[in-house]
Amino acid sequence: MSMLSPSTGATLNAVAPARRDGWLVSRLGAESALVPWLYLVPTLILLALFTYWPLLQTAYLSLVDWNMNPSQPTQFVGTENYGRVFGSTLFQTALLNTVIYIGASIPLKVLLPIPVAVFLWSLGTRGHFYRAILFLPTLISFVVVGVAFLWILNPIFGYAKQFFALAGYRLPNLLADPDAAIWVIIGISTWKVLGFNMLIYLAGLASINREYIEAMRMDGAGDLTIFRRLIWPLLTPTLMFVMISTIIFTMQQVFTPIDLMTEGGPSNSTTNLFYMIYQYSFVTFDVGGGAAGTMMLFALLMILALLQIRLFDRRAHYKQ
Amino acid sequence: MQLSRPLQVVGHLVLLIICLSILAPMLIVVSTAIKLPNEVYALSLWPDVPTLQNFAHLFEQTAFGRYTWNTAGTTALRVAGQLALGVLAAYAFARFTFRFRDAIFALVIGAMMIPQVLTMLPNYILMAQLGWFDTWWALVVPNLATPIAIFLLRQHMMSFPSELIDAAQMDGAGHWTTLWRVIVPNLGPALSALTIIIFIDSWNEYFWPLLVTESENSRTIQIGLREFLQDDQDDYGALMAGIIFASVPAIAVFLFFQRRVMDTFVSSGLKG
Repeated sequence: MSMLSPSTGATLNAVAPARRDGWLVSRLGAESALVPWLYLVPTLILLALFTYWPLLQTAYLSLVDWNMNPSQPTQFVGTENYGRVFGSTLFQTALLNTVIYIGASIPLKVLLPIPVAVFLWSLGTRGHFYRAILFLPTLISFVVVGVAFLWILNPIFGYAKQFFALAGYRLPNLLADPDAAIWVIIGISTWKVLGFNMLIYLAGLASINREYIEAMRMDGAGDLTIFRRLIWPLLTPTLMFVMISTIIFTMQQVFTPIDLMTEGGPSNSTTNLFYMIYQYSFVTFDVGGGAAGTMMLFALLMILALLQIRLFDRRAHYKQ
Repeated sequence: MQLSRPLQVVGHLVLLIICLSILAPMLIVVSTAIKLPNEVYALSLWPDVPTLQNFAHLFEQTAFGRYTWNTAGTTALRVAGQLALGVLAAYAFARFTFRFRDAIFALVIGAMMIPQVLTMLPNYILMAQLGWFDTWWALVVPNLATPIAIFLLRQHMMSFPSELIDAAQMDGAGHWTTLWRVIVPNLGPALSALTIIIFIDSWNEYFWPLLVTESENSRTIQIGLREFLQDDQDDYGALMAGIIFASVPAIAVFLFFQRRVMDTFVSSGLKG
């Protein structure tokens, strides 16, 4: 900033003919084609350095063998890393788990909130109390959520255990069970994001003109017909948005509870692709393997994005 | 819209169950945090002898004071830096026409679609090469460019009445003065909304600090909680005190600006 302007004392109502820009800008002439670039330079440098260049570098790293030790030379191995990672049981498990995470997320986090949001919308301003509570999990960090549920699900003293014991049921240690652990993580990530998605739907619903509904009601349409013929089509763009953001959320943010609560286990049953990449890169320091895994995740994300566009393009054009 | 009676009953019931399942874990956390060690494993939600001892214990046992300073300091720097750079870039996109503008704008917004997982390895290596490992630099600088802020601020600047800008420039104000003295003071709602988003995002960040922080020099509260969990797994009272302490700032912000926070989060689609 200081590079651009020493003009701190300038006020608007002071009538002064001279331009009040810094020396650099005035030397270049205010209409110079360079001026906008001066405003953009910091952002562009940062994005190039920390987003776009690393993307290319990841592609390069996926072709080398390196253990992150600066004194150790990188060795070019071609596509060997891809074959090695793809053939590993860890990758196959992680891919399957990622499919389960996403598959379970769509009904739980994307579809379930819709009817509840419609109901909340029908309440109008009387729903404020609910909204405030629904928003709470968005504010809390995932670390906090993970630690809290570790305590609640503690296999010996946890509240869940004791509540079930009161009801005469012996709750097994869910986080140690390879079949159940992934559902615990899915449940917790649903807890974290459900209310937020509901509020996004609520924002989408807010743009629907209530007079349409009164008109349909007058014509004798029932609740279900109104939902199917009016609300659902108008909500499709919001649905698409929620779907995309939820898939990215499920790919990326679920890392935190996995890392805190299960560390991918038991026997890799909760590892997703992100956690696998983390293990390759920062646990075993297999840079090539980590980068190859990253590129494969990138490809998967692209495929999902294209699929979504194909699926929804036809229907997302409803406008009011 | 008036729903039929049975649907209303079902709706309230479902919402009450969801709200209860959101509040119950929080209640358990608060209750455990104010229990003495001999009561921690008891089922009752209100302890016989409520205590704040766990909070004191938390700060004695761990470097939580230091972690709080790191988190607060880097968060403050990030909020200021991200807003300043966002304002500058948004101004260039909103008020100038120049070659490649639309292509560059697409590139900036496109960066939003690139999840952190795709760039973390080279960035981690870069931090080591720059000697930024385990310093505030690593927490602040790579996060300073914020496409969502540029996008939102550009929207607001484009709808800014151009008469005001013309008047300012007639009085001899250049671009720099116009931006900071005329436009920015009128961006209040957008800037405060972005402040809240960036604050919560930065305060709660987990993955990147996990990679680049190692000691008290830069470790944040969230990573401190993870460390505490691994070292002292049994001290649940202090752990619960820790997670309450970590959550208070975001919840306080929420209580002060309730409606605005909610509206902003929802309209920007960012997830905490």
